[in-house]
Amino acid sequence: MLTIKNLKASYNGLQILKDINLNLEKGQVLSVIGESGTGKTTLGRAVMGLLEGRCTGEILFKGKNLLTCPEEERRRIRGREIAMVFQNVEDGLHPLYSILYQVMEAVLIHGLTDKKAAEKRACEVLELVGLDNRRSLAYPHQLSGGEKQRALIALAVVNNPDILILDEPTASLDALTKAEIIAVLRRITREKASLVITHDISTAADLSTHMAVLYGGRIVELGATGDMLTGPRHAYTRGLLRSYPNMTTTKDLQGIPGRMSHHVEGCPFHPRCTQRIRICSAEAPLPAVEGNRLIACHRGGIVPLLEVRCSKSFGPLKVLQDVECILHEGETLALIGESGSGKTTLAKTVMGLLKADEEEIRLEGKKVTRRTIDFYKRIQMIFQNPGESISHRMNVLQTVKEPLDIHKTGNEEEKLERVRQVLNEVELPGDDAFLKKYPHHLSGGEAQRVAIARALVLNPKVLIADESTSALDASVQAKILKLMMNLQEKRGLSIMFITHDLALAKKISDRLAVLLKGRIVEEGPTSEIIYHPLHPYTRALIDYAPLLEDRSARPAGSRWARRTHSGTCGNSLQAAPRLKRPPSATSTGCPYANRCLAVKDRCLEERPELIACSPRKVACFYPPVDYKIQSN
Amino acid sequence: MQECVQTRHVPIRNKVFKKASVLNKASIINYVVALLIILTMNFFIPRLMPGDPLQAIYGNEALLVMTPELQEELTHRFSLDRPLGEQYASYLLSLCRGDLGHSYYYNAPVLKVISGFLPWTLLLTGLALVISTLVGFFLGVESGSRRGRPLDQVLLGSIMLFSGFPDFFMGIMLLLFFGVFLSLVPLSGALTPYAGHSGLMLVADLLHHLALPLAALVLVRLTATYLLTRSTMITTLGEAFILTAKAKGCPERIIRYRHAGRNTLLPVVTAAGLQFAHLVTGTLFVEIVFSYPGLGSLLYKSLLTRDYPLMAGILLVLTVVVLTINLLLDVFYSKLDPRVAKCT
Ligand SMILES: Nc1ncnc2c1ncn2[C@@H]1O[C@H](COP(=O)(O)OP(=O)(O)OP(=O)(O)O)[C@@H](O)[C@H]1O
Ligand code: SF4
Ligand SMILES: [Mg+2]
Repeated sequence: MLTIKNLKASYNGLQILKDINLNLEKGQVLSVIGESGTGKTTLGRAVMGLLEGRCTGEILFKGKNLLTCPEEERRRIRGREIAMVFQNVEDGLHPLYSILYQVMEAVLIHGLTDKKAAEKRACEVLELVGLDNRRSLAYPHQLSGGEKQRALIALAVVNNPDILILDEPTASLDALTKAEIIAVLRRITREKASLVITHDISTAADLSTHMAVLYGGRIVELGATGDMLTGPRHAYTRGLLRSYPNMTTTKDLQGIPGRMSHHVEGCPFHPRCTQRIRICSAEAPLPAVEGNRLIACHRGGIVPLLEVRCSKSFGPLKVLQDVECILHEGETLALIGESGSGKTTLAKTVMGLLKADEEEIRLEGKKVTRRTIDFYKRIQMIFQNPGESISHRMNVLQTVKEPLDIHKTGNEEEKLERVRQVLNEVELPGDDAFLKKYPHHLSGGEAQRVAIARALVLNPKVLIADESTSALDASVQAKILKLMMNLQEKRGLSIMFITHDLALAKKISDRLAVLLKGRIVEEGPTSEIIYHPLHPYTRALIDYAPLLEDRSARPAGSRWARRTHSGTCGNSLQAAPRLKRPPSATSTGCPYANRCLAVKDRCLEERPELIACSPRKVACFYPPVDYKIQSN
Repeated sequence: MQECVQTRHVPIRNKVFKKASVLNKASIINYVVALLIILTMNFFIPRLMPGDPLQAIYGNEALLVMTPELQEELTHRFSLDRPLGEQYASYLLSLCRGDLGHSYYYNAPVLKVISGFLPWTLLLTGLALVISTLVGFFLGVESGSRRGRPLDQVLLGSIMLFSGFPDFFMGIMLLLFFGVFLSLVPLSGALTPYAGHSGLMLVADLLHHLALPLAALVLVRLTATYLLTRSTMITTLGEAFILTAKAKGCPERIIRYRHAGRNTLLPVVTAAGLQFAHLVTGTLFVEIVFSYPGLGSLLYKSLLTRDYPLMAGILLVLTVVVLTINLLLDVFYSKLDPRVAKCT
């Protein structure tokens, strides 16, 4: 219904919108998100023809190019076929006319009906948005912010326009009013093509069918809203989602380093992007279809940095069986599992410290056949026990400096400087006395931090941390974790975080992989898994994760159900059903069968494969009912 | 839903189109207090002056020609032999009766003298107020909505030119040019004496005489309204509700007047009230320049003849006029702005 082609807009010569291409069909609600100043409002106004700056390109509405239409014709389209609700609610209504009059005027101005019919229509619409008789006769100063917003919506939809543009429809409203307005808007937008401009991602999530991310005047990612939210593919989209405080995702408030600017050559995001390559600063990437998404990125969105697939056995004991995982750029993957599930083996295999039976490892897309010196420059590991990472015969300086010596980076002075810097980063003193200490002079926490400093000193891209903070007390652990998250935010460090502590994983990871007896049984976005675990093993882990609350006050057995905010999937935790055979550890079936409360005959005979159950994967025959529907 | 809208129809119509018009009590009380203060001053000033109050009220020369009987009677009338409180009471009472004193020059009650001249002044100021506000507003709206374009620049330039002139100076210039030089209009008076016009001819004659003094007043008063309207228009046009109006698809003219102009009218009306006292003094001067038979000329004559009661009466009447006009403008304002009307 509305097609935007190569739209460019500029104010006083500064180009704000650069080559926007969009298509909007009836029934579609497209949300445009992006941080302040990216040009979202500018886009909306350009479609309305109310831009103060200049625009070029084409805006096709019902086959007509609006940009070349004479002003009189555009005026007749405005408010009748294309309507917009503007950002500023407070002064959006004329202070001297009643609400009803203002809504009526919108009808009368187009000369569609007489006064009586216009009034009737205005009343209907005001009723629809939830303003009763008394309030529709009021003047703007007598209404609250939410009511004004409703009035403005009524004003825009009174002529039943084909295209509705909503600019920040829920900004500065409290949560309940926001929910009501969203409900109203959902009803209204059903029959139209709508553009919802917002920086409030939850509004976009509630209202829109599709989502476009605008950055620096370009659309960097576009796709169906659900897909975009669970699996952002552009680095900026991910940063945006991470910054947004909410009840769903786990690692919120992380932020994106740097600031947006409109004076950027090449990819608009490149000054802030942690995976940029040379071409990024020279050429703007063109939007291209990648799976179910449109992405404008030279690297096709967030790149998979480390792809692992391996099996390993010690004699007859299969420790890792076809474990597959992918670590993306700037992402934390938490590997969860009880002790003995093979977490450390996996880490060591990846690092080449153990020889795998079968392996396929790719670093930045390139297959790794030999662990070269460059490999270790890109990927570093911190062990569970600092004694494994640092030699008792080297002092702190030697320990941290050694990787620099091996990779021959800079002269002695620079190396010393770098050592001090990295020690400072992990909150250790950089003075000479400390540098001369030997491991047996250090406390456990200090030794671990020295190990971390050693791993970070080369600025690796991937860090594999194996229980590396479990020996530290909680406050030191918190500092180290914050340090890692900061490095991730600044440099796009990818972290594989191996832990048995689910609470910790929930705080710091983007994705979670649950390992059980050398197999991954569930894998996906952390929030999804924490709030709706599908595998019974995952649920058990969640059930016993640390809590800070009074346990005595809680009725026994209700723990898990409460935590997941959903009582519906509790059925599989009921008493164990009758079985043909007693479950045993050596069974060929599901590795969890001997402990699973939902176990059925099939579980004992057959091993469930890891199957996609979008946006995650799970290896279970009988996941809770409500999720089966979603999985296809 | 359809039906319920139908049934609600009638009451809504009535309510929307009936404007709330109650002026709030507080502002009426303000006016009464202001009036009382002025009356009190009028009462006390001659009595607090050194010497005989009668002398202060009537002036030296008047007292010279006054007979003792008359003096006796006046003393009695002003209750000058009574305590101050009673004097005040009788002063207010006589005002209520419309007794402003006696003009010895005209040898008639002051009120009667004034009422012969007042209509002309009212006509002149009233018209000047309305015309200067309307024209200034119209020009301001047109100019403000074309900010920086040729029409705006020409208007702004030429109107700024007048803004510095005092009214009487403008009057003299007009009189010299149109009256003396071009002989297009009469040089004095409000009507051609003894012409015996009636009906339309009378109106034409009246306007003919009125044209120049009115033009002098309007031209000078216009500038303030114009400048205020123009600058308010410019800010108003940047407001969010104007954008909303544009998004509705309102044509330019409706945005200019119904939306921006309506909002701009508020400060213009307020300013008109504040400026009215100035306009009245301007009128007095202009009347003298054009020998227009209004209160200005009368005041001038009473000054020349030192007819103090007449002078005091004129000033009092003018004060009451200024207050009344301000009151009316307040009522008008409260009709314009629902935010004022509702907060009683
Ligand atoms: N009238 C104008 N003249 C000059 N520059 C403007 C004008 N309006 C907007 N801009 C600039 O254009 C850029 C985009 O503005 P826009 O209002 O579209 O941002 P936005 O994405 O809607 O941001 P927000 O979320 O804060 O509303 C900003 O850098 C802003 O400074
Ligand atoms: S990788 Fe390059 S093109 Fe992609 S977002 Fe980063 S800077 Fe832009
Ligand atoms: Mg905006």
